[in-house]
Amino acid sequence: MTLVHNWHLGRRMEYPYFESRPKHQFAAIFNINRCIACQTCTMACKSAWSYNKGQEHMWWNNVETKPYGGYPQSWDVKTLKLIDNGENTWYTDEKDEKLSPYGVYEGDTIFEAAAKKNINQWAVGYIPEDKEWRAPNFGEDVAKSNKPDEYSSLPEHSRWFFYIQRICNHCTYPGCLAACPRKAIYKRKEDGIVLIDQKRCRGYRKCVEQCPYKKPMYRGLTRVSEKCIACYPRIEGRDPLTKGRPMETRCMAACVGQIRLQGFLDDNPKNPVTWLIRHDKLALPLYPQFGTEPNIYYIPPRWAPRAYLRQMFGPGVDEAIEKFMVPSRERLAVMSLFRMTQTIIFEYKIEEGPKVFETTIHGKKFELFNDTVIGYGEDGQEIVRTTIEEPVHIRDPKHYNSI
Amino acid sequence: MKNAYVLFKRYGVALLSCAFLSATLYAAEETAPGVKGVTEEEFTPAKEVLTVKYVEMAKPYHMDVESLEGFFKDAQGVTVPLQMQDKAFPNGGGSVKSAEVKGIHDGLAIYFKVTWSDPTRNARAIAVQEFRDAVALMFPLGAVEITPAEHFSPRMGDREKPTNLWHWKADWEADLLVKGELEDMENQYPNMHDDWNFNPYSAYYHRELITSVEVLSGGRAAHNLLSQPGRGRVVEDLNAEGFGTLTTQAHQDVNGCSKYEDGTWTVIIYRSLITEDPHDVQFVPGGTTYFNMAVWNGGEQDRNGQKSISSQWHPATLERVAWQ
Ligand code: SF4
Ligand code: SF4
Repeated sequence: MTLVHNWHLGRRMEYPYFESRPKHQFAAIFNINRCIACQTCTMACKSAWSYNKGQEHMWWNNVETKPYGGYPQSWDVKTLKLIDNGENTWYTDEKDEKLSPYGVYEGDTIFEAAAKKNINQWAVGYIPEDKEWRAPNFGEDVAKSNKPDEYSSLPEHSRWFFYIQRICNHCTYPGCLAACPRKAIYKRKEDGIVLIDQKRCRGYRKCVEQCPYKKPMYRGLTRVSEKCIACYPRIEGRDPLTKGRPMETRCMAACVGQIRLQGFLDDNPKNPVTWLIRHDKLALPLYPQFGTEPNIYYIPPRWAPRAYLRQMFGPGVDEAIEKFMVPSRERLAVMSLFRMTQTIIFEYKIEEGPKVFETTIHGKKFELFNDTVIGYGEDGQEIVRTTIEEPVHIRDPKHYNSI
Repeated sequence: MKNAYVLFKRYGVALLSCAFLSATLYAAEETAPGVKGVTEEEFTPAKEVLTVKYVEMAKPYHMDVESLEGFFKDAQGVTVPLQMQDKAFPNGGGSVKSAEVKGIHDGLAIYFKVTWSDPTRNARAIAVQEFRDAVALMFPLGAVEITPAEHFSPRMGDREKPTNLWHWKADWEADLLVKGELEDMENQYPNMHDDWNFNPYSAYYHRELITSVEVLSGGRAAHNLLSQPGRGRVVEDLNAEGFGTLTTQAHQDVNGCSKYEDGTWTVIIYRSLITEDPHDVQFVPGGTTYFNMAVWNGGEQDRNGQKSISSQWHPATLERVAWQ
């Protein structure tokens, strides 16, 4: 074991390999508040990568209903149990913007739990059986009702559910990669995408066992495991549509609810993804306590009970929801970039516009400015331009009845 | 107290890495994280020698256990004690306590017969939770005398000390028996393409899907032997030089057959004495070689390092050919 820094946990942790961060890291932000569980993303992925024989049970992208849903069934509850030592708490009195923005996690990660339990493997885990992988959204739309006869109102609904959109997190410290005794799993230095070498894999299913998010999947037909490949040909700009520029993955580009924004985490504070995650802290990692430093970030749903959300996204939840409900000028501008283009945005610029109106939201003053936000591609070229207020088009009366 | 904790988390690493560095300097045998060094006894081969008996045999028409078993009648076997693999992560196995190995040759080919008891027959690895029964024989590559001084690890060899492994798999045997020589999804999940099996002609109705060309065939496109249909054999020919280095050979030379009866596996693995492949072990009548072995119990979720192993090399001497 070596010691590596995990900024989600705000501390160093044990990991079998040295810290080695990619040039920039494949990352995405999912705004849970807007997802309608249409599964368009799920089908976009399926029809691209997993429509073949032996992949019937594979949903590299799936959208599940919380709190009861899960694919594979109860994956998160089962993994949380494995790391539970009764003291999985966070120390939040002191924070460091760079090293510990959410405070310090004091419980065990999947790696530390394995070392403590002396189970002689790198991480705790389990292999879900075939019947647990049967559908991408078990328990669809099943709500939890604390007080069934009461109306729900914010800040916490008493009857609630929400959708969570899941792909492989292309973790900085992947459990799957640590688990593989053959080093058949590798993380690309150029973009941090985690892949399974289909030639070196021998179907041991150690990755299926030790990925806490259960995203590597065994393919019975080929006797080896497969996982989300982050649509790497698109990321490499090999799709002619974006003229050689990095292109967002299928699941991102297809999103009907416009909840997804993909990019790369880097050091540029004007990168929309980096800004929302590292500077604004609006988007949070899923189950950071697992310790893999996952790279899909979520804007938590504002109506769900906070204790549940804190367990799921860590102690940054309250601040993130607060910020989401009363967005700042810059935040609103950056969030306007969601789904404006499928060419990956590397930098944004805001051109200030006039104030349109002001109001009070949850007791806080809110002002809306019609700013223009511009997105730039990898080559610095402008690729998208949009305004906060969507333009209104009034149809010519002679076209009222035409399509 | 909390402050001290945070300070430790932040600066403790410098201290810890010093300790770690000095520990690694001392533990030179520590080859990789998660790997324990091999002990001195393990570099010493077992005393008992397996005599690979010379038998005259007319190669039977069917290369199955029934036809081949008789030739082992006068061969003296050795019992190889097996134990849990506890040196490299992930540790595991140990459910099979011993196996009996016999060897014969006819001047052209060598045959090893391995028997061990296993209460469950696991001959399929299609469902995610299912693992196969398997056995492997391992030989040092090249002319090697196993002595304590040689430091030739009996656990998958070592860097610059390569081994040749013959890995028999129960499911490869099952694959040979079906059309297309690869057990398919329908073998595990009949009518899997119907949510509600109302259609009496399900396979016909879904024929296009079932027989579609596999565009996205993953392991198959990457030429992973495990994924290939029609391998035509039940034993995989591999090389390794240490934990995690197991690699399928480009040229496959080994084959075998098996029988499972009354809770006992009988597996016969054979190959010609000499091959043209420089990555293969070669056998010379009258000469001595060494072997080691491991058994996987699929019912106990054994695979890779989770296996019952022998922690010593075993000498095997081939009888001279009796010329008439
Ligand atoms: S396409 Fe978008 S809105 Fe639809 S389920 Fe997927 S993430 Fe949710
Ligand atoms: S989510 Fe799982 S499969 Fe993906 S990189 Fe992380 S540990 Fe590996």
